[in-house]
Amino acid sequence: MIPMEKKEKLSPFHTTILVFMIQSGVMALILPQLLAETFGTNGWITVLGFGFVASINIFLIAAVYKLGKGRSIFQILEQSIPKFMLIPFYLALALVWTLLGCMAGKEYILIFQMYAFPTTNPMEFKLIMDLLVFWLLTKGLYNITKASTIFFWLFSWLVLLLFFFYADFSWTRLTPFLFKEGHFTYLESLDIYSSFLGYEIVILLFAYTNQKTKLIKSTLLGNLITTVMYCYLALITFGVYSLGQLKNKAFPVLEMMAYIRFPFIERMENLLYGFILFTVLFSILMYEWCALEMLKQVFPKLKANFLAFMLILSCFIVAYIPETLNEVGDWLSTLSMIECGIAFGLPFLLLIVLMFQKMGSRTAHE
Amino acid sequence: MNRMLSLLLALMLLAVLPGCDYRILERIGYTYAASYDTAPGNQVEIGISIPRADPTVKLQRELHSAIGKSSKDARVKFSNETDLLLVNGQIRVLLYSEDLARKDLANEINSILRDTSISPLVRISLVNGNAKDLLFKNYKQHLSTDKYINRLLEKSSVNNRIPKTTLYEFERDYYEDGVDPVAPILKEEDEDITLDGIGLFRGYQYIAKIPNKDALLFSILRGRIKKGDMALDLAEHENGSAEEYIMFTSVISNRKMHVKHRSGEPIHVTLEANFKGSVHEYIGNLKLSKDADRHQVEKRVSELLTSRANRLVKQLQRYNVDSLGIGIHVRNSMSHKEWKALDWSKEYPRVKVDCQLKFKAKDYGKIR
Repeated sequence: MIPMEKKEKLSPFHTTILVFMIQSGVMALILPQLLAETFGTNGWITVLGFGFVASINIFLIAAVYKLGKGRSIFQILEQSIPKFMLIPFYLALALVWTLLGCMAGKEYILIFQMYAFPTTNPMEFKLIMDLLVFWLLTKGLYNITKASTIFFWLFSWLVLLLFFFYADFSWTRLTPFLFKEGHFTYLESLDIYSSFLGYEIVILLFAYTNQKTKLIKSTLLGNLITTVMYCYLALITFGVYSLGQLKNKAFPVLEMMAYIRFPFIERMENLLYGFILFTVLFSILMYEWCALEMLKQVFPKLKANFLAFMLILSCFIVAYIPETLNEVGDWLSTLSMIECGIAFGLPFLLLIVLMFQKMGSRTAHE
Repeated sequence: MNRMLSLLLALMLLAVLPGCDYRILERIGYTYAASYDTAPGNQVEIGISIPRADPTVKLQRELHSAIGKSSKDARVKFSNETDLLLVNGQIRVLLYSEDLARKDLANEINSILRDTSISPLVRISLVNGNAKDLLFKNYKQHLSTDKYINRLLEKSSVNNRIPKTTLYEFERDYYEDGVDPVAPILKEEDEDITLDGIGLFRGYQYIAKIPNKDALLFSILRGRIKKGDMALDLAEHENGSAEEYIMFTSVISNRKMHVKHRSGEPIHVTLEANFKGSVHEYIGNLKLSKDADRHQVEKRVSELLTSRANRLVKQLQRYNVDSLGIGIHVRNSMSHKEWKALDWSKEYPRVKVDCQLKFKAKDYGKIR
């Protein structure tokens, strides 16, 4: 008999799409404004730089993958560190990821509500969204990646809408100046970087992959797609809006959508906003999934579905606390900053642990 | 069992949630056009026109007006007068009286920009006279006035009789360094509404206008155009010849600007525009099928338009409004530091602008 793999492993294609879907999220709507504010003229170019930084981070994860020989991070950590010490660490990570998913969801809903159904209680939308997240969450990672591929096709055609702006795009408006009239702050550049976040969760995917997944290659490719997409989007926004105008816009990408008009339908942007949900949904979903993975380690005896339910329930309840768009934005900023730390810190930590393990094993052999 | 449960839950949600936030189409007043006029005591008078599609009444549109400190203030007042729920989502036209625009439109425009329901594609136009009267009057041989104005503006901007002025363009040019916004001007003429020219702004303040007859020329100088027609009396230029008249359509043009800096001299800008058109009418002694004759006509058109363009640019410089966006090209020709050191509004009137227009007859119709 041909030996069969017991468990299904991720395919490279699905992984690439998944990474792209996690990365692109609600921050993309604000990205061009942040670029204009922080870097000024031709700020769109910096997107490539941010994408590059993300790639470096992915290489860091690659080192962990390689040195750990594909073991999951739990296996790596628990080999060297006693579990009772790891539990608070797991819980802290779970908390950050839960909140991050939760706030990204609320932010999307509040933005959506500025344009449609402004008087409906946002928590009604949150309830539906969380139900969707919960259902996907209980289906397991493989089904999530397959679903993300379907949602990707539902979402990706939106890129074609950028053709509408070619008529109003002007190279002269971009100006020949590089990064002038911006106001650079580290805090805001972290905000910009947070729109790339999402790739770091592949560190939890190790156990679901094998050689064929080409995890690192797929992740890099996913990150490349995100970078190119963001860069293209930012370029178009910078060429369509004048710099001062762009700085003054809260949600330039949403407003650009309002500019699209078909002969048979006008003001169709409200329909389009709905499509953005697909990509936002997967950012939320995957952060909740990561949190769930952590909880599974902490409470190995509890059923996964029960944990998922409790997770989403707490996520729903926490979403009641911040009420305004600014409050949610502040939460999200703080959380993304922590997440940036995790994205770089966690692989570092793992590398150190792996190094000790290697040294330990070498001395044991001697 | 689990699947049944989730299905039931989904169905229940679907049944319950639509009741949360419902709107009945017939009870919503979609404002289609709004007018803004000056009112005593630094207030504004707002007029709105709402199309009605109720088969029981023989009413085409509902009109309301009120005076208030701001547009939203006035809105609260006239929302008390109607049974409809007023919404802004379908506004297509905003009309401002010249008097109001002369003061400043900053407050009005900013309040519109903040409103998420208003489309950036809403058209902006000035009105020579009272904007409310223009909007509220019914013009016998035309559609409902609000639609009539909207279509008139749309058609005219496609034909380049007026620059395309939606909220997006207006705001963009306001924020851009080296260009000033423009807006078309409408006026009431007996039983019609007609174009009165192009309003030139400095920031959000209306400064001056250029007459309707220079409109296409203005469009050619402002950028690439793809449609439009123009009639010229060539005899006014060449005083020797007898009656000579030309009319051409389907104008396609492109525009280039070259900026030269020489130390000690004002900035020198060459504005080059090449345009092609099909001659639809020619009254004169030359024969268009002959190459030499046709080139002569082309040359005359080019010369006439070049001199008119130079006059137009001088006029713009005198008003100190950079409506053609010369500043953008000057900016792009220097370093950021130099540009910031340059006070463009002071420099602009001194810039030496040299327009060079070249006309080419693409074809000359069915007769030789």
